[in-house]
Amino acid sequence: MRPNVFRPQSLQEACSLLEEHEEALVYGGGTALQILLKQGILVGSSFIDISGIPGLAEISFTDDFLRVGPMVTLRRMERSEEIRELFSLASSAYAKVANPRVRNTATVGGNIAHGDYRLDPPVALLVLGASVELTSRNSIRKVPLEEFFVDFQVTDISAGEIVTAVEIPRSIHIVGSSFVKLSSLSANDWPSASAAVGLMENDNGVHTLRLALGALAATPVMATVDIRNLNLDQTLEASLSKAMELMDPIADVRGSVKYKLRLGRVAVEEAIRSAWKEVPNGR
Amino acid sequence: MNMVFQINGRDVGIEVSDSELLLDTLRHIGFSSVREGCGVGACGSCTVLVDGKSVSSCLVLTSRCNGSSILTSEGLADDDPVVSQFIKNGAAQCGYCIPGFVMMVSELLSENPIPTEQEIYNHLEGNICRCGSYPEIVQAAMDASKAKQTSKLTC
Ligand SMILES: Cc1cc2nc3c(=O)[nH]c(=O)nc-3n(C[C@H](O)[C@H](O)[C@H](O)COP(=O)(O)OP(=O)(O)OC[C@H]3O[C@@H](n4cnc5c(N)ncnc54)[C@H](O)[C@@H]3O)c2cc1C
Ligand code: FES
Ligand code: FES
Repeated sequence: MRPNVFRPQSLQEACSLLEEHEEALVYGGGTALQILLKQGILVGSSFIDISGIPGLAEISFTDDFLRVGPMVTLRRMERSEEIRELFSLASSAYAKVANPRVRNTATVGGNIAHGDYRLDPPVALLVLGASVELTSRNSIRKVPLEEFFVDFQVTDISAGEIVTAVEIPRSIHIVGSSFVKLSSLSANDWPSASAAVGLMENDNGVHTLRLALGALAATPVMATVDIRNLNLDQTLEASLSKAMELMDPIADVRGSVKYKLRLGRVAVEEAIRSAWKEVPNGR
Repeated sequence: MNMVFQINGRDVGIEVSDSELLLDTLRHIGFSSVREGCGVGACGSCTVLVDGKSVSSCLVLTSRCNGSSILTSEGLADDDPVVSQFIKNGAAQCGYCIPGFVMMVSELLSENPIPTEQEIYNHLEGNICRCGSYPEIVQAAMDASKAKQTSKLTC
């Protein structure tokens, strides 16, 4: 059966369609959906193409947040001057997805909703304390990203809900950050392991390390490490031991469990060392 | 649905099904420079520019391009600096992948007129050439950047 595509012109209309057609899927950029169709994994679904709804492709800054609409492309996240300046960790992770063509097509909403455990952007967004706005016909709720990824390929999106924004708070004061992606097949392939690190500072100096890992467990995972008064070596030791608790890799064509655990440690160490270099005046 | 878009500067009105992909539409109309390789966004042989941005046409719904302006390599002028430098550098063996590379280089130079070699690699890393013409392709991209700068100066 050929897919049926609905083209709502308002969010209200899209939510109603989604409620009426339970099997229907939201169509973002379609880069994941088209592959699922070609692989025969998706058969006979209807799609709700949200590209005609005004206002969903906007990037805006408030005093508290960077707010990104679901139809903003990954490439805009990579290239926006403002985002590069304020949230370089986010732009560097978006820049690592696939290739420029996929990034010109794929959307911020579709990327997060895809829920794959290996996705690059969520790893950076976890460190940045991002949250996801979900809108249905009767409600709007905000889910912290830490609670959004529920299980292998399962997110907290309920039936009838659309991702309507990803928000990054401006209050988390990160002074050094880095995203490291290690792939075993080719540089722009899915990662075998990825790590994002953010160092948080207050008046007394750097106190907390935020660490997130991708491709190393059934979902992207994250932890914070208290690094008050620790030097680089001590920070590495404390963070690697935390990372070992988080890692529970899945063996596949991109590596065995043992290989991914090893790469995971390398990614964490590399990310910490490079974030550390960004901290003004050292420690 | 009925839709209208511009292909290489000419208005085209067509009827497409909801599931039709841009790759198939363009090939049916006769733009045979747009080629299927992997079919999953990973090789770049189906690259076209939609409103100036590169896409893998094997993953894009045609209906999404209603009102857009599409550029395929057929739409580049004969003396286009990118095309000329590909020819000058012998940057092709079988040629299957080349239109895709040419479109990617065109996009890169419009965003970043004087790219470094590393920036060229970064932009082209998702394009695959089975014949391995990479050194010539990268050289052609660098020479095209220079040629464009020179022609700007002499205009
Ligand atoms: C060749 C290739 C290589 C790749 N390599 C990488 C990589 O290295 N790293 C990486 O991170 N990713 C990689 N990806 C995956 C890529 O990140 C995803 O395909 C893309 O982000 C999905 O976004 P989309 O807008 O195209 O989603 P779609 O295909 O439109 O949708 C994906 C899912 O999200 C749902 N959805 C879409 N929008 C919404 C919304 N607003 N609200 C609710 N649900 C929604 C859809 O119903 C579907 O279930 C690769 C993809 C390709 C094709
Ligand atoms: S055929 Fe489209 S990218 Fe390979
Ligand atoms: S020239 Fe043959 S595939 Fe590139």
